[in-house]
Amino acid sequence: MILLSYATAVIIFCIGLYTIMIRRNLFKTVLGLALMESAVLLIIVSSGYIPGGVPPIAPFSGPAVNPLPHAFTLTAIVIGASDIALALAFIVKLHRHYRTVDLDRIRGLRG
Amino acid sequence: MTLVLAIMVPLLSAFLVPLFHLARKTLSVGLIGIMGLASISAALAAAHTGWYSPAVSLLGGWAPDIGIALVGDRLSSAFLLMTAIGSGAALACALEKFGGGPWRFYALFFLMLGSMNGILLTGDLFNLFVFYEIFSVAAYLMVAFSMSWQALEAGLKYLVLGTIGALFILLGTAFTFMATGVLNMALLAEALASIPRETLTAISACLVLGLTIKTGAFPVHFWLPDAHSSAQTAVSALLSGVLIKVSIYALMRVCYIFFLGTNGAVFLAITVIGSFSVLGGHLMALRQDDIKRLLAYSTVAQIGYILIGIGCASAAGAAAAVFHAFNHMLMKMGLFITAGNLSEEKGTREICGLTGLWKSHPLWVSAFAVLSASIVGIPPFNGFMSKWFIILSSAGAGTVIPALVIAAGTVISAAYYLRVLSAFISPDEGSSYDLPPYVPRKPRRRSVSFAIVGSFALLCLVLGVMPFSPIFREYFSSIGQTAVDVEAYVGLVTGR
Amino acid sequence: MSSKPYIFRIASLILCVSLGLMLFRGIAALPVTEKVTGPASHYLARTAGETGARNVVGAILFDYRAFDTLGESTVIFTAVCGIAMLFSRRKFHRSSRGLSFIAKRGIGIMVPFLLMYASVIILFGHLSPGGGFQGGTIFATVTVLLCVVFGSSFESQYFPPRTKDILESGGALLFSGIGLIGLAAGTGFLSNIAAGFPAGTFGSFLSAGSVPILNVAVGMKVGAGLSTIFYSMIKMLDAGHDHREGGGIE
Repeated sequence: MILLSYATAVIIFCIGLYTIMIRRNLFKTVLGLALMESAVLLIIVSSGYIPGGVPPIAPFSGPAVNPLPHAFTLTAIVIGASDIALALAFIVKLHRHYRTVDLDRIRGLRG
Repeated sequence: MTLVLAIMVPLLSAFLVPLFHLARKTLSVGLIGIMGLASISAALAAAHTGWYSPAVSLLGGWAPDIGIALVGDRLSSAFLLMTAIGSGAALACALEKFGGGPWRFYALFFLMLGSMNGILLTGDLFNLFVFYEIFSVAAYLMVAFSMSWQALEAGLKYLVLGTIGALFILLGTAFTFMATGVLNMALLAEALASIPRETLTAISACLVLGLTIKTGAFPVHFWLPDAHSSAQTAVSALLSGVLIKVSIYALMRVCYIFFLGTNGAVFLAITVIGSFSVLGGHLMALRQDDIKRLLAYSTVAQIGYILIGIGCASAAGAAAAVFHAFNHMLMKMGLFITAGNLSEEKGTREICGLTGLWKSHPLWVSAFAVLSASIVGIPPFNGFMSKWFIILSSAGAGTVIPALVIAAGTVISAAYYLRVLSAFISPDEGSSYDLPPYVPRKPRRRSVSFAIVGSFALLCLVLGVMPFSPIFREYFSSIGQTAVDVEAYVGLVTGR
Repeated sequence: MSSKPYIFRIASLILCVSLGLMLFRGIAALPVTEKVTGPASHYLARTAGETGARNVVGAILFDYRAFDTLGESTVIFTAVCGIAMLFSRRKFHRSSRGLSFIAKRGIGIMVPFLLMYASVIILFGHLSPGGGFQGGTIFATVTVLLCVVFGSSFESQYFPPRTKDILESGGALLFSGIGLIGLAAGTGFLSNIAAGFPAGTFGSFLSAGSVPILNVAVGMKVGAGLSTIFYSMIKMLDAGHDHREGGGIE
C-alpha cells in the first residue's frame, strides 16, 4: 500500500524533470522545480509511515509514527520555498527587460 | 569548539551586517576587514585543530547517531586552508574595488564563507544538504550581483540547474535515510554495506549526479561558463577558485565514505566524467573570444583533472586531486583577477582587443604569463607537478586512457593560453575595435589586487619545487590517506 | 517560438522514465517498515525525559538537530537578502488603493485574531503541533493581507521594512546567542537542558528549556523574512504600474 505512495512520488518527480527539460517557458521551469521538490518531500514523509501510527506528541496512545522525516520535511519545505521565491524574483526581473518568459527569446539561456 | 566557531563567526558577521547598515548608512572598510579577519582566523584555527588533532564536535552534546556531529580531519583541514586563503584574497579584492558601500554583498559573502566551512566540517548528510543550500543561494545571488542582464540570466540558469542538483542530493539523502535510518556519515559507511543492491544503485546515482551538477563537470556544465564569466572580477575569482573546490570536497567525502567499499562503479563513472570534462572544457575554451569565458571553460577542464584524480579511488589519487585543487585555486584566482583588471583597463573582454598591454602593464602581463604557464603545465611550476601526480596515480589504477586525455588536454590548453599571451604582447594598433570604450570613473589603485596576484604567482613557483622535499610529500600523502581511510573516520566519530 | 525537436522530446522521455524506474526499483527493494527503528526510536522513547518537550518533532527541530534549523533559517535570511538586493533599485511610488470598505472592515476584525493564532502556534510549539516556522508564516500572511486589502503604503507604514530587518537579524542573533550559551557552558553548541536551561514541569507552558525561545527566534526570522519577500515583489509591481510599462506580470 505504501508502495503506491512512493510510486506516485517517483512519477511526480519524473514529470517535474521532464517539464524542465522540454518546456521553453520559464514559469513552467519553476513549476517543474516545485513538482520535483514536492515529490521528494512526499517520499520523505511516506518513509515515516507506520501502520496504525499516532502523531508523535507525547504521551502516545499507541505506536507513534517516525518523527524524524517530519522534521526533515519541515526543513526541506522552507529551503525549497526560498529557492522558488528566488527563481520567481529572477524571472520577474528578466521579464521586465525582455517582456517575455520564453526561453528562446532570452539570449543567454538557450541550450 | 574551534570547529563550531569556524562556522558561527562568519554567520554572526553576516547577521550583524544589516544591523550595522541600519545604524550607519555606509559600512567602514575597516569593520568589514575586521569581520573578515575574524572569520578567516576562525577557519584557520579549525584547520589547525583538524590537522594536528582530528576532532569531533558534538552539537548539543548529543551522541553522533541522534544529533549532529562536526568532524575535522586532515582532508577537511586542507580544504579549510584553501577556502580561507581564497576567500581572504577575494574579500581583499572586493574591498579594494567596492569599498564599504554594497552591504548586501558582504552579508552574502559572509553567509557563503560560513556555509562553506559548514560543508567542510559537517559529518551529517542532511546537514550537508542544508549548508549546501545556503552556499548555493548565496552563490546564485553573487553571480547576479552586478545586476546586468547577462548576470541575471546566468544567475537564473545557475539557480535552475543548482536546484535540480540539490533536489537530487536531497533524494539521495532520503533514500539513504529510508534504507538505514541514520544520517551520520560515519554510521552510514557501516550501514550501507548491508542494504539491497538496487537501493544502493539509486543512492549512488542520485548523490553522484547531484554533486556533479554542483561541481560543473562536462555533461552538466552549462551554468558554469555563464556564471563565472558574467560576475564581477572578485566574484569570478571566488567562484572559480573556491566554490568549485567546496563541491569537489563534498563529492570526494561522500564518494569515499559511502562507496569505496560498496560500489566501485561510482569511481569508474567519475573517471569517465572527468575525462570528458578535460576534453570538452579545453575544446570549448579554444573556441572562445571572450577572455573570461575562456578562463571559465578552462575551469571545466581543470575540474576534469581533479575528478580523474578522485576516480582513481586510491590514496595517491586523492592526494594528487587535493594538490591539483589547491594549485588550481591559486592559478585560476590569479588569472581571473588579472584578466578582470586588464580588460577593465582596455574596456573590452574580447581577446583581440586586449593588445599592447605588455608596454603599459608589464608586471601584470608577466604575472599572467607565469600563472598560465603553470596552468598549462610547464615543468618548473606547480601545475605540472600536480598533473604529473594525477597521471601517475591513474596509471597506477590500471588504465592509460585518462593519462592520454590529460596529455592531449595539455596541448590544447597551451594553444589557447598562448593565443591570449600573444595578444597581450602584440603592439597596440590604436583603438581599432569599435566597441564603445568603458571609461573608468576614476583611476583606481590596484596595489592590493596586484600584491595578491604576485604572491599567488610566486606560490605557484614555490609549490612547483616543494614536492621534491620529503616532508611536503609526506604531508600530502597523509591527506590522501585520511581521505580513503574510512575506518579511521568511523573510529574518530564513533569513538571506537 | 521554436520548440525542441521531436527526437529531443523522445530522448528526454526515455531518460525520465528510466530514471523513474531505477528510483522505484530502489524503493521497492527495501523491506516494509513495521515499527520505528534506529535513532528515531530513541527520540520517541526519550524526548520527554531529555528535553521536556511534548512535541517530538519540535524537540528534534529545536534540540536534537537544532543546527539544521539554524541552517535552514539562514537559507531564508540569504534568500531575503538577495531578493531585497534584486529589487533594491526600484523606488516605491504609490500603492493601490486597496479593496472595498467591506473587505477592509472584515480584515480589520480578523487581524487581531490572526495575530493571536500565530502567537499561540509559536509559543506552544513545544507542546502541540506547530512552532516557529508555521507561526512565522502566519505572521507573514497577516502582513500580506494588510498589503492586499489596504494597499502597500498602509502596510509599510505599520510594519516598516526597517523594523522587519531588525526583527530578522535579531531573530538570527537570538538563535546564535542561545547556541553560544551552550558553547560557553562547555556542553556543546545549541545544547539545551545540559547547558542549564530549566526543564520545567513536563507539559506546562514554561518547559523544555530553550526550545520555546528558539521557536520565537525562528518565528521572528521567518515572519519578517517572508513578509520582506512579498513586500519587495509587490513594491516592484506597483512601481512598474506607475511607469506605464505594462501591467506587471500576468
